[in-house]
Amino acid sequence: MSEKTESKISRRRFISASIGAGILGIVVGAAGAWLLKPEVVAEKTVTTTFTREVTKTVTATAPVTVTTTPVGIDMVAQRAINGVRDLLAKGVAKPGDTIRILHVAGSRANLEKAIELWSEYVPEIKVELITLGQEPDVYTKAMSEAVTKAGTFDAVTIFSTWLGDIVESGLARPIDDFFSKYDPGYTGDIAPIEPLASYTTLYKGKRYALVFDSDVFTLSYRRDLLTDPKLKDQFKSEYGIELKLPDTWEELIKMAEFFTKLNLTAPSGGKVWGAYFYAEPRFAAYITWLNIFIEAGGILFDLKTMDPKIDTSEGRYAFDVMLRLKPYMPPEAVTASWADLYDKFVKGETVFTAAWPSLSKEAHRPTALVKDVAGSAVLPGVEVNIGGVKKVVRAAPNPVNWVAVISNYAKNPELTYLFFQFATSPDIGKDVILTGVILDLFRRCWFTDPKYRPAFEEGYGSEFVDAYMKSLEISFPDLLIRGGPEYLGKLTVNVNAVMAGTKDPEDALSETAADWDSITKKYGVDSQLEAWKALANLFPADVKEAWKAKGYM
Amino acid sequence: MRSKPPKVIVYLANIPLNILLYATLIIPFALMIYLAFLSWNPAAGVDWWQAPFAGLNNFSRALQDSRFLAALGRTTAFVIIVVSIEFVLGLVLAYFMIEEFKGKKISLSLIIYPLMLPWVVVALIFYLFFQDYGPMNNIFLKIILGDAAQNIHWFLSSTTAFISLVIADIWQWTPFIFLIMYSGLSAVSKRLIEAAQVLGASTRTIFWKIQLPLIRPLVLIAVVLRALEAFKVFDIAYVMTGGGPGTSTETLSLYIYRVAIEYHDISYAAALSLIVLVILAIIIRTFIWYSFERGVRT
Amino acid sequence: MTKRIISKFLRYIVIIAFLAWILIPVLWMFTLAFKSYPEWRVAYFFPKEPTIMNFILVFEPKQIIGMMGATALVDPVTLPFINSLLVVGASTVLAVIIGFFTAYGASRYNSPGPFSLFFTLLTRMLPPATFVTPIMVYYANLKLLDSHLGLIMLYSAVTVTYGIWILKGFIDQVPVEWEQAALLEGATHIQVVFKVTLPIVKSGLVVSGLFIFLLNWAELLFALVLTNVQAVTLPVHISKYVGAVGQLYGPQAALGILSSLIPVVIGYLIQKHLVTAFTFGMVR
Repeated sequence: MSEKTESKISRRRFISASIGAGILGIVVGAAGAWLLKPEVVAEKTVTTTFTREVTKTVTATAPVTVTTTPVGIDMVAQRAINGVRDLLAKGVAKPGDTIRILHVAGSRANLEKAIELWSEYVPEIKVELITLGQEPDVYTKAMSEAVTKAGTFDAVTIFSTWLGDIVESGLARPIDDFFSKYDPGYTGDIAPIEPLASYTTLYKGKRYALVFDSDVFTLSYRRDLLTDPKLKDQFKSEYGIELKLPDTWEELIKMAEFFTKLNLTAPSGGKVWGAYFYAEPRFAAYITWLNIFIEAGGILFDLKTMDPKIDTSEGRYAFDVMLRLKPYMPPEAVTASWADLYDKFVKGETVFTAAWPSLSKEAHRPTALVKDVAGSAVLPGVEVNIGGVKKVVRAAPNPVNWVAVISNYAKNPELTYLFFQFATSPDIGKDVILTGVILDLFRRCWFTDPKYRPAFEEGYGSEFVDAYMKSLEISFPDLLIRGGPEYLGKLTVNVNAVMAGTKDPEDALSETAADWDSITKKYGVDSQLEAWKALANLFPADVKEAWKAKGYM
Repeated sequence: MRSKPPKVIVYLANIPLNILLYATLIIPFALMIYLAFLSWNPAAGVDWWQAPFAGLNNFSRALQDSRFLAALGRTTAFVIIVVSIEFVLGLVLAYFMIEEFKGKKISLSLIIYPLMLPWVVVALIFYLFFQDYGPMNNIFLKIILGDAAQNIHWFLSSTTAFISLVIADIWQWTPFIFLIMYSGLSAVSKRLIEAAQVLGASTRTIFWKIQLPLIRPLVLIAVVLRALEAFKVFDIAYVMTGGGPGTSTETLSLYIYRVAIEYHDISYAAALSLIVLVILAIIIRTFIWYSFERGVRT
Repeated sequence: MTKRIISKFLRYIVIIAFLAWILIPVLWMFTLAFKSYPEWRVAYFFPKEPTIMNFILVFEPKQIIGMMGATALVDPVTLPFINSLLVVGASTVLAVIIGFFTAYGASRYNSPGPFSLFFTLLTRMLPPATFVTPIMVYYANLKLLDSHLGLIMLYSAVTVTYGIWILKGFIDQVPVEWEQAALLEGATHIQVVFKVTLPIVKSGLVVSGLFIFLLNWAELLFALVLTNVQAVTLPVHISKYVGAVGQLYGPQAALGILSSLIPVVIGYLIQKHLVTAFTFGMVR
């Protein structure tokens, strides 16, 4: 009896305590909100006044007067150095100032190279790195900074995919003013190749980023198998077409089937598979689907209403191609993390594969089993009916692509900008890129100018350099609108589900479309449409032609 | 001694704990509750205190979110499966380890080694283990199945992917339950058992009638502690299967992580958390009632 | 007699099977740590050319290893290691001390009120991803991001619940009569707590400390979001070897081994408590 009353009392006490705590929580929350708010606002005002000050100096001194010209480097880098000297002379920057850059571990060596070169010219300004491990961590940290406005870093290198989110969250500082003041070399022969230069740096028509990298996919293949005369004859007699670099996905499927059925043994001792294209659930599955979808003339959203247009014949065709390829791909393609594709190709276990430029670097390393036989080409396309004429549309995805963004909460945005102008200039950028790892070439002069090209040929192989330039010219962006990672993340899990056989393509497409619709609604249709229209305009010409022929544009 | 507690004890018991909780967790918690009723995320372009109210929208969305409900069900199933297997294995092993034998000390230290490893590393070991090129297929299953082992692709079907997660979890956490069961069994008085033996009780009877009932409170503690942690299973799902194929091995933690950290849908994540919180609150409340107010001391 | 032999035999079988089950993945980790890059994704245990490169690399990340000739990826492991020791050590001590006082009040007088107890359990059970964002906002305003203090507070707050629950079991077992006797002899309440109860539940302190230590030692998500440079912990550091340069399995395995050293040493030091203490004082 007494125990019962005791538990009753304690239950009542518990309920009242919980309610009390709930109320207390809300009160504390409100109080906290009220208390925290002024501080943040104060910080914000500081930042804005600061920015205004900078802008004032910009208008006051129009062209930068070259005081002492550093020798031996290109004009873009020179302008950056002179800009820093100027800021130092005016007292806007002080010796000992530090620029803090948030970046991912993979680009550490590149940035350290840039810092090393930077300190030869401006030892007064220090650069400090905040290194994060995995790529999503950078996104998380950057978005956190947008919320906390703590000034943890002055600049961040991000996936271009995140640009919409980063800009809309208020983190990215527009850099049009610095662009016109210092000219980072985005015109003429030295300019980064279009359309990449535009779509990775512009959001709703404004410039927010400097290109730091290129991540366009190319087709990697085993040249020895593709040029083997015996295999060529056998293929021709079986399939009736030439064994050569595939122009379309349809041709590639036939070749993949052919090679898989040969049951060849790779240099590593494993089985040789015809193909390996991404279909894994963590991140990369969307890339393959998107590539085929865009080449087939698909458009992600309606340009008038922002309705998702993936549940269409193009969307189904992309799945159709992937599913027909599946028997000729190793099962890892659907399960293992993205790096396993590299491993398989380097061991000679796949004939056709598509990945970032780093695959080519990896395939040419001394330890690679395919170092003498790895070839690179433009990805195959899809035959599209354009105005009654059949045309093969080829396009290359540019998933991720590191770009440098200057934080709105940077202590000295101008100084930070100048570091990146320096680090991405033709001369300095060349050395930074050639340090290896995850950054890759993007300026036209690096492909064409005899002053630069040999160095890149040595790093990547000349076949790759040619194929890569062509790929950059037909490259299309990731979904660089707000919510980009969320849109693509939902697509990825559905593509993976289809490839694993746990979901029907139809269901996958309609579910993804429904998900996308709710994401769009969350951010507001008008705002998203504005960003999508601006982005759609920056797609390669062939794709836009197909869109026009289909009445999408 | 349920008399009025002396002041000094009240202070000691309350003040340090409350300082810690109020300084660290209460405000973020209140903030989370507040956010759940907003429509806000960092990419919204406004600061959180200016975000529009969403009322109960986030909650109704959650209740229609099949991915969330599936993750909730899956995680519950995961907890039940791994905790029961770990419990049985841990108990059996503890029973056999009780008696003295050669190399007992070293065996004991080896068995609890998995507890000392960072979860991330455990996850990557098992990721490599279950890959098509990994030792699971190429060494162990090959002995049993021969070349047919090559046809098993652990992460390709929902069932085998789920099983691989269960195996990894069992590997890491059985030693935990074992340790508790083992210390419990060794604490059971030897004399009691000897007395029972003299009276002619069989080993089985001793186990079921004497040893097990005596360690019952421990069983409860072990199972509850393990269930608490198993419910949050994240690292192995994130690293090993990535929630795949599709979202068929996505755990609750992984889904909420994706919503909160990858999709940055903070308000929605807060609403999901609140729902989980309510469910947990009921369970925990029952546990507190069961173990404290009802009285553990039998 | 035969029955005995059979049961003995059975016992050995079970124990050996279990040891094999535990040791095979451990062995995999150890051999992986001595494999060079081309051998990370293979199906055999013992490397053809064993190397200690992975261990050197984690202390001096300058060598070329892994995919794309990745160099100088991350900082040496030294600072994260010290940070982890500091943060996890301090938060464990804090959680155990606070847990002890609270448990004492709960055991003897039902003192800290159900809400606090309930709340501590709740925060432990919620997936960290759910409230890491609010904590981040809060910490940013307190300037606690990337600070040891912030992590110590958070870690002890989310694990104090184990201190409370585990220690309560032990304190419940301390006969109230002993305390009363001490009180009658003129000891103050404080003296009773420190001189009578505390020494008896020593192994409880040890075991709850070990448990809390293990949980915090492996904690990743909070540290990932709340630290940048100064307060980076070991699990965060390990996670840096994954990413756009591929998975650097070798160094990760080496770090796993290094990371397990501290818990192993602690486990060894408290060996004599280990077995008795995990009864949580509940079996008599």
